[in-house]
Amino acid sequence: MASQSNGGAVQAAPSDPTLNQRSRTRALAANLTAYSFLAPAGILVILFFFIPMLLVILMSTTNLATDNFTTNIAEWQYVGLRQYETLVNDPFASKVFFNTVFYVLCTLTFFNVTMALIVSLLTVHIPRRSGFFFRALWMLPRITTSAIYIMMWERILADVPFGILNWFNELLGQAPVNYASDYTWVFVIVVNGFIGVSFGMIIFTSAIESIPKDIMNASLVDGSTLIQRIRHIILPMLRWPLLFVITYQTLSLLTSFEQILLLTDGGPANRTEVWALAAYHRALSNYYGNTQWGYGAAFSVVLVVIGVVLAVVYMRVFRFNELVAEPKIEVL
Amino acid sequence: MQVDIQNLTKKFGNVVAVDSLNLDIKSGEFVAFLGPSGCGKTTTLLMVAGIYKPTDGIMRFGDVVVNQLQPRERNIGMVFQSYALYPHMTAYSNIAYPLKLKGISKNEQNIRVQRVADVMGIGHLLDRRPSQLSGGQQQRVALGRALVKEPDLLLFDEPLSNLDARLRLTMRGEIKHLQRDLGITSIYVTHDQIEALTMADRIAVMNQGKLEAFDTPEGLYERPKTLFIAGFVGNPPMNFVDVEVSQNGAGPVATNNDLKTHFTIDQVEKVLAHKGPVTMGIRPEDIVVDDGSDIRGEVYLVEPLGRDDLIDVRIGDTRMLALSDPKLKIQPGDTVGLRFNPERLQFYDPQTNQSLVW
Amino acid sequence: MTVTDPTMVAGPRKAPPLALGTALWRLLRDIVLLAVAMLGVSWVFREILANATSAVNVEESFTTVIADTMIFTLPFALVIVTALRSRSLLKNRRGLIIGITMLVALAVQTISVGQQALTQTGAYGTQTSVQFTTEQADEGVLVTAIEAGGAAEQAGILVGDVITAIRRDVVDKAALDTAILQSDDGAVLRFRLLRDGEEQQIPVTVTSISGVNTTSIYMGYVALFVTAILALAIPFGWIPYVLLISFLMPLFLGYAWLIIATFSQRTEGLLPVDTTGNFGGLTLDNWSFLSGQMGARNQLDIWGVTLNSAMIAVVMTVIVLLVASMAGYALSRMNFPGRRGFLSMTLILHSFPAVTLLIPIFIVLQNIGHIPLIGDLFGFNTIGGVALIMVAFELPLGIWLMKGFFDGISWDMERSAMIDGATRWRTFFEIILPQIRPGLLALGIFSFLGGWNTYLIPATFMVGTRTSNLPVLIRDLTGEMQPVNWNQVAAVGLYQLIPILLLFVFAQEYLLNIYAGGTKGSS
Repeated sequence: MASQSNGGAVQAAPSDPTLNQRSRTRALAANLTAYSFLAPAGILVILFFFIPMLLVILMSTTNLATDNFTTNIAEWQYVGLRQYETLVNDPFASKVFFNTVFYVLCTLTFFNVTMALIVSLLTVHIPRRSGFFFRALWMLPRITTSAIYIMMWERILADVPFGILNWFNELLGQAPVNYASDYTWVFVIVVNGFIGVSFGMIIFTSAIESIPKDIMNASLVDGSTLIQRIRHIILPMLRWPLLFVITYQTLSLLTSFEQILLLTDGGPANRTEVWALAAYHRALSNYYGNTQWGYGAAFSVVLVVIGVVLAVVYMRVFRFNELVAEPKIEVL
Repeated sequence: MQVDIQNLTKKFGNVVAVDSLNLDIKSGEFVAFLGPSGCGKTTTLLMVAGIYKPTDGIMRFGDVVVNQLQPRERNIGMVFQSYALYPHMTAYSNIAYPLKLKGISKNEQNIRVQRVADVMGIGHLLDRRPSQLSGGQQQRVALGRALVKEPDLLLFDEPLSNLDARLRLTMRGEIKHLQRDLGITSIYVTHDQIEALTMADRIAVMNQGKLEAFDTPEGLYERPKTLFIAGFVGNPPMNFVDVEVSQNGAGPVATNNDLKTHFTIDQVEKVLAHKGPVTMGIRPEDIVVDDGSDIRGEVYLVEPLGRDDLIDVRIGDTRMLALSDPKLKIQPGDTVGLRFNPERLQFYDPQTNQSLVW
Repeated sequence: MTVTDPTMVAGPRKAPPLALGTALWRLLRDIVLLAVAMLGVSWVFREILANATSAVNVEESFTTVIADTMIFTLPFALVIVTALRSRSLLKNRRGLIIGITMLVALAVQTISVGQQALTQTGAYGTQTSVQFTTEQADEGVLVTAIEAGGAAEQAGILVGDVITAIRRDVVDKAALDTAILQSDDGAVLRFRLLRDGEEQQIPVTVTSISGVNTTSIYMGYVALFVTAILALAIPFGWIPYVLLISFLMPLFLGYAWLIIATFSQRTEGLLPVDTTGNFGGLTLDNWSFLSGQMGARNQLDIWGVTLNSAMIAVVMTVIVLLVASMAGYALSRMNFPGRRGFLSMTLILHSFPAVTLLIPIFIVLQNIGHIPLIGDLFGFNTIGGVALIMVAFELPLGIWLMKGFFDGISWDMERSAMIDGATRWRTFFEIILPQIRPGLLALGIFSFLGGWNTYLIPATFMVGTRTSNLPVLIRDLTGEMQPVNWNQVAAVGLYQLIPILLLFVFAQEYLLNIYAGGTKGSS
């Protein structure tokens, strides 16, 4: 395909050399127009993705830490792949790794997929406006500032007498529960899950609503029950959206840590530390009084690699090539 | 302005959309590109407009090679099937937009927009938005926008397809009139042969990227050079029958298992000289229902067309469309006799699809 | 459709009532299937998944919570299924339906209680205790009885002791009970108590005892019967609403608390209370921060911080819209070498763990800070710098979204503009951009929300209140060492939330479509 865009520019009129010359100049000018449209985005991407990515890779080969910190690259002390060696042998890293796997799997299955599917199935089976209303409510966790959202949850699971759940326990004559420490993971998953539902919900809902009315009506005429309709018509149609939500949300969950940072900060005793948060902790937050920039960078690089690999995989899943229609204007 | 197209080729990837097209359009001429969808006619038009870059070939406007010119440098006007009006602008601004881009003064813009609007009969609609206009009105605005900058070349891309039948008839006449009055060279892309036949001075018939014929409407209809043109031009379409031709006592005769007919066309020798089977073509209007004829078949379907009935007759394995007088009250199931006008038969070589006659 | 045709009215869906035998058989089948399914899931979680997570050293109780929830909700699920099933199976036999449902409720709860008794869980489960009874007295918590051989007796606590504190924390009866219940088996609580007017400290080892909580057994029966009646009486059409509302319960509670808290001195659960712990204490004091008064701090430039928030959001939105629409336009409608590369890069960046780059971005920002003029606007610790990072992170989604919107615009319109004599730039600004107003609005709202809510980036890249924004301020307030005035924080939180909610009310349609728009064409 790339050859075509090149081709169109240079082989316009091979029969006439002067034409050929003009055609090259024209093509160059045309490409310049396109690049000038892209320039601002390109600069930002270079500044905040590419350069940082190179820096983080570079940094992961240094022992940069609080005691020898400098932003002057030339003064960094390079230690080769030692940070990665440490990482592989670090029991903390392996714990964090499995924490991350556990966190992503649970949140994804229970909330980002299952709950999202349930909510969209329910909301398309009630009148339009009501369905819209409930879907809008599910957007709230996503649009509320994490600081406030987490504050609300902290309040919900606080101790007596402040905690809302424990307040209900008290009303019902039940023993109070120390939710924050006994059920840490449950709440980490629930808190993140509530944010994640809206994404799948929107995708699934629009997929269900795009099922042709004729098919639905035909099955109604055939006398199918609601459950049968869901099983035989809706779910098969949702295969692609399901795949999309799973791949995309896996990546989002892998890299998001703001809520965990605010809710538990990885605690108690690293119980809820996940990979992205560990990278943040090592490098930016005062971790045991010492920021280990080099080591944190190694954590980041691992995550970046996983992210890019997954992104490439999901581009395959998406059939990226089909998304890229050729422009129907060839001159610029 | 004269338009000269030489060897024009357009490839999309490996797909050849337009294949070595040669056309010479005279100044002031109204040329229609006719062909089924996907035949490359719109692609050709867009290359002429400068939207697509040709893969190969040369386009000249007058003496100027325009291959490398931007659309805006070609001084053309174009009318699209979707009208392509700018929905956020009023009709006035739509028409004035090309003038504004040329940097023409507001006063001059005003005068010229008014003039064009009066010609198009939309003077009273100028402050409306496209969404407040009917399809026909939108098309007039689009036409006005194409005309206002006094282009050297007018391009039409199926401009009437989105209109209802009645309006299409009116607009057809108006466009033709306007073009003749202004004398602007025009290229008109359509898949509707009636439009092409009624409006164009010459018609370029395209099929699968190739130019099948470039001829006047009469020429195309009376002397179809290829099997494709014979089948494509004319409605209801020409009937084709595979036959053997031979000479017998009463003159040249075409036969197959189901029928046998004499023919008396001028170039009889050319047909007879051909070895092997030939494809015979006969237009429905050249078939007469005549119970005295030897060619007899069962009527399968009758479609009233108003002035005529279109009857679908099965003669053995051969299907024939013919026109009959509604007064005959032919019913499906009736057996009728058909007589072919012996002077109006066409013959084609089934291998090359070329006419044996023209 | 007229009502005269009986087959039409009945329709194919409404089958005639089934024979009693068939109905009961189907009901039984459903109950068994459901029970097996839920018990199976519970077993898988408790026996397989819980072991798997602990094998890889993940300390979690999530799997057991799921397993327990299955067991706990099984009776309710069975009763609800019975009620719903028998309702549709047996027409016009109200007595029978109620009878069956109640019977099932009785049966499943009895089985459940029996199972709890056997396995020592639930109402028969263990709880931590020191094995004494107490009551609230004026000076403290009076010990009224001691179990023979129990933990309290072994520790040497006597009847008549008045417990005043655990270590230094003064306790009342409720706090004491809670402390005991929340201790682990074997934990040591150091009671400070008054014996004969003298203060003593006695360590007590908490032990776990099994007991029967009869109240919870009775409550279980009541809850099941209530559930059965509700499931029988509730119109079918209400079921989705009931489910949707119950799923959203935590959010309702959270937002309800937020609103209640801002208008009260303290809250206990959702109840506003005054400083002595009694109902009441409604006040507007929490909102005094609006005039710059903020508890111990006294000084708070709330308007300055609000302005920062707004500036970040607005600057970011403007830049995102401009940059993303330009790039999206080029990618959607122009042909140039590298187009595919840029597009796939956008997609990869869209799912890129950008936050992991915060460290090197810090270095980049510092270097930008050294550039004259630009540095003052976009360097480290500037609003511009933060906005620019936010823009960069928002760009991949924005470009992809904008591309989607541009893809939908008629090519003829653009061709027409070019033939009319417009350059690509003029076509973009004068013809195409006005067509994607909905897209611009959607992306604009989305990035405004993102900018207004952003916490991590300003928290990382802006130092001091001069440049911090509202989310950072809120977090700072809750993270202070001194006692947090939660209600005041809630007020600031609600204040921060108000613009979002307003925007949300007006723009929810766009927000609900944003992802759908970004993935169009692909599905």
